[in-house]
Amino acid sequence: MIPVRYRVCLMLTILAASCVSCTTNVMVAGSLPTPLVSKIPARVGVHFTDEFKTFTYKEVMRESGTWKIDLGQQNLDFFRNLLDNMFSHLEEVDEPNFGSPEAGHDKAGQHYFGRNGGLDGVIIPKIVKYGFLTPSISGLNFYSASIQYQILLYDQSGEVIGDWNIVGYGKSEGGSFGADDALGEATMLAIRDGGARIAIEMSQQPQVIAWVDKMKQAEGD
Amino acid sequence: MTEGKIVSVFSICLLVSGCVSSRIEESREALTGLVGDEAMVILGRASYNDHETEESFTECIVDILAKGDRPIRLIPESEFKDSLYPWFEPRTAPTSADELSRLFAQPGVQNQIDQSNVRYLAWIDGDTIIVDQGGSMSCTLSTFGGGCFGMSYWEQDASYEASIWDLQNLSAAGQISADANGTSYLAGLVVPIPILARPGNAACKGLANQLRDFVVGDE
Repeated sequence: MIPVRYRVCLMLTILAASCVSCTTNVMVAGSLPTPLVSKIPARVGVHFTDEFKTFTYKEVMRESGTWKIDLGQQNLDFFRNLLDNMFSHLEEVDEPNFGSPEAGHDKAGQHYFGRNGGLDGVIIPKIVKYGFLTPSISGLNFYSASIQYQILLYDQSGEVIGDWNIVGYGKSEGGSFGADDALGEATMLAIRDGGARIAIEMSQQPQVIAWVDKMKQAEGD
Repeated sequence: MTEGKIVSVFSICLLVSGCVSSRIEESREALTGLVGDEAMVILGRASYNDHETEESFTECIVDILAKGDRPIRLIPESEFKDSLYPWFEPRTAPTSADELSRLFAQPGVQNQIDQSNVRYLAWIDGDTIIVDQGGSMSCTLSTFGGGCFGMSYWEQDASYEASIWDLQNLSAAGQISADANGTSYLAGLVVPIPILARPGNAACKGLANQLRDFVVGDE
């Protein structure tokens, strides 16, 4: 029979060991809302990099163990739906090779992109940075997450029309969810926030307005 | 019931609930009323500072408004925000009723509102904070047993405001504010005994009932 004090010590040791080695897996899930915005009148290709498609963030914290946030699939689905409703025509393309011999002018003098022929431009969204705060770090009652996106828009000839950095931010109360659910919710809100800014602001960018005007002029000619 | 039993019941009642004082104020700017299948949506105001309206508070208001003898048809917050994305996200939502006409000029917004038949939108803004706390209590645990001794208290202040917008007239219909204050105690007499005041709950009930009267009218 093990004495009571040894049993207590053993339990505390097991508890401490489990806290150090525990991993919090955060799954990000949510709805895919269709943005109510005017579509930009352009035929655009979108290239999602492998990193964007499978983005996972991992951080080891001394107090709370390892955090693994898998936002790739939800982020990809969200952006597919978002961009599809922002342009009059959108299709997914492989990595654009603007310098390929296939790119150039057709017989009618129209620019084309080689493999991405017939498109007015190509958009490439990237996740530059992801970060999160837990209540124990921030001292506040909620989990928060931020995602820095880079949105690159190329025209037909492969020149950069726009290079925007947009930060999406989200927070969720820690009280009503578990830690993983709360951070998943905060991350989803960060994706929505970033998406909202892209949906509203992209068509208002002077470069995009000039690009659309140029295409309209070319069509008129 | 004997005198002893009455004292015991009274003591238990005192132990499980603390005192809360609350005040509700209303300011009306337009006549209101719900006709037929018209609905309402309750939205919690979110901002990126330290405080935001707790989800549990808006859920409490929704629970009260959707039930009772005069239930109001409510559109769930998530459904409303999804159907009008990206216009009701924390950083894009209109901050005053004056911005409604500009919002309704956006493609598809008027159509979505017409489809869901939402007549009123109520923004709930506020939070419950601890304004004072003190006392001390210590708990010990050993192989021979344990217990808590001492007393601590905390005073909470719940302050919320509902801004009601009329989505048919694209104007503000009025505001209702609810303030509640209460002090909770935790007494350690070997076993910790909580005496909880719930000012957030009192503010929710007061605000929800006043909101119902405001929108559908007094009986």
